[in-house]
Amino acid sequence: MTFKLFTLLLQAAVSTIGISLVSIAIGFVIAILLSAATLSGKTIYSAPARLFVSFFRGVPLLVQLLLIYTLLPAIGLNVPSIVAAIIGLSLCTAAYQAENLRGGFSSVPKGLIEAAEVTGFNPLQIFARIQVPIALRLTLPTLVNESIMILKASSLVSVVGIIELTKMAQDLASSTYQPIPIFLSAGLVYFVICSTIALLGRYAERSMARTSA
Amino acid sequence: MTLPAIIIRNLVKRFGETTVLQDINLEIPEGKVSCLIGPSGSGKSTLLRCLAFLEESTSGMITINGEALGFFEKPDGKRERLPPAQIRAVRAQTGMVFQQFNLWPHMTALGNVSEALKIVRKLSKADAEEKAMAQLRKVGLENRAGHYPSQLSGGQQQRVAIARALALEPKIMLFDEATSALDPELTGEVLKVMRDLADEGMTMVVVTHEIGFAATVGQQISFLDHGKLLFSGPPSEVFAKPRHPRLDQFLDTYLDRGASMLI
Amino acid sequence: MMFNPQVIIEKLPELGSGLFVTLLLWIAGIAGGVVIGFLVATARRFGGFATNAVLGSVVEVLRGTPFLIQIFLLYYGGPFVGLMLDPIPCGLIGLTVYSAAYYSEIFRAGFAAVPVGHVEAAGCLGMTRLQTIRRIQIPEMALIVLPPAVNLSVILLKESAVLSIITVPELTATVSAIGSQQYAYLEAIFILAVVYWALVELTDRLGRAAEYRLSRLRFSKA
Repeated sequence: MTFKLFTLLLQAAVSTIGISLVSIAIGFVIAILLSAATLSGKTIYSAPARLFVSFFRGVPLLVQLLLIYTLLPAIGLNVPSIVAAIIGLSLCTAAYQAENLRGGFSSVPKGLIEAAEVTGFNPLQIFARIQVPIALRLTLPTLVNESIMILKASSLVSVVGIIELTKMAQDLASSTYQPIPIFLSAGLVYFVICSTIALLGRYAERSMARTSA
Repeated sequence: MTLPAIIIRNLVKRFGETTVLQDINLEIPEGKVSCLIGPSGSGKSTLLRCLAFLEESTSGMITINGEALGFFEKPDGKRERLPPAQIRAVRAQTGMVFQQFNLWPHMTALGNVSEALKIVRKLSKADAEEKAMAQLRKVGLENRAGHYPSQLSGGQQQRVAIARALALEPKIMLFDEATSALDPELTGEVLKVMRDLADEGMTMVVVTHEIGFAATVGQQISFLDHGKLLFSGPPSEVFAKPRHPRLDQFLDTYLDRGASMLI
Repeated sequence: MMFNPQVIIEKLPELGSGLFVTLLLWIAGIAGGVVIGFLVATARRFGGFATNAVLGSVVEVLRGTPFLIQIFLLYYGGPFVGLMLDPIPCGLIGLTVYSAAYYSEIFRAGFAAVPVGHVEAAGCLGMTRLQTIRRIQIPEMALIVLPPAVNLSVILLKESAVLSIITVPELTATVSAIGSQQYAYLEAIFILAVVYWALVELTDRLGRAAEYRLSRLRFSKA
């Protein structure tokens, strides 16, 4: 295990972080829409949203990736595999984040919404100015956990041939016949990234706790 | 004149740098109700927890019915910890009732009361449950024996907790703010059980904010402030005017209207 | 686009064997993970500072790295240290160790969630340390950990699909092989997804039913 091999792993880790960040961000936007649909109280919106969440939480991510990877070309969408991978990760994390957000939204005290109503806010204003900020604070810890989960889960996109940390480690391990140091190093890199996310999350929680009552 | 049920000598308790109890000396008479009162943070709960050996004192001695609790004093004045079995034997003389009831949620009321009879006293299941049932009857809850704590009101839970402590037939009952966690309308049923116990002649040490209870049921009132026992005596003396200025101040803040009429 | 699930339905026995391996690994992984996780949590809680620190670091590393990397390390790295494992035992060991780390955290949180007062009450009633652990702390913890343990078990079912990558003949591996042979890969993966979905929903419902039955034992808001 040379320093050169380790730098290759670090470079690949940048892809891992990039793929994860993009997926979490896209997933977050979808999750907001999903949780709004679920909480809308109208079956026409909430039923498909529930089905989506149930499916993507009920099927292994690996199977989801294989499905999207096969399905897209079959319906005539020939996208690069990195796009397919990001779509897969985004949809999966969207389902989990939607569940977390739903929990956050339903924990927003009713009194705060009533207070906004009597002050003359319209429903959209209440949603955007009261419910969203409070729900976000309540779900921050779960969002941090979810980011860590996705970062680890992104190792699965190696299966569809995307060069990220796991794929790089796999290739290096087979070409150098040194699987132990290489997989240990890859594990270490993942561990450091995950710990950093956890640390940042705790820091964010603390600074939020200071600004809220 | 019988021996005091509890003798506390030069008791000191420190948590790190802070001294919570400073040189407490108190004798608690047998068959009497002794109330510990004082503002929050005065050390009254810590003192009670020392009597239950839930806190270990830093120095000093506690004797329960003539037996040293936790530590024994060697002739040179140094303390030595007693063996666990001996500590358990002395602790068995006291029963403890907590502010938060502390019923075990995975057992029914009957289970809570009979558990220690089974595994500490080694009674058969049938005997333990029969004894437990008798205690539940005593606190008026025999028809709730099969209920889990979550299915009982706060007052009922506390009565079960009292029955649980009584089941082991302690000679002394310790109450740590037994009614503080209860809604006001539920304190009555618990105080009634405590009054009945007092009428039976049970030795009781009661940490309480219920000054009315202390004044009417208590036979010895001890006032603690900032970890010091300021004074102790019968209610007629302690509450009589002119009062100690700290007690006056305390009563001003804590006394409710009902209780002020009693004093 | 052609969609012909018929070609997969013909291969039901093979699908069944894959399902069997998945369920076997899953249940064995849960059983092993629960036992080891419980022992780890107990050792961490009652075993002193050093034990807690060492086991805590191991758990953190296992939780902070992808399952796939752990499996690769075991499967490809094992032979270099004399650990030649077939895919199934390798998968079973990997899944057990991985799940043990997560179960141990659940149990640890469970122990911490048992109110101190409940333990104190046992002490006041003359119970020894061991009696208190056995009769009060462990049963109370079991109640607290049931919901997260059910969730984790569901996650493990899904995680076991990863074992197909090291050629464990479980559900995912079997069904994608059928799909390739029959030139019906999309159909195969679709059916695969539905089977997992059904299993997960079923497990989830069973778990919730169990939680509901035990809900009266939960803590009252004293």
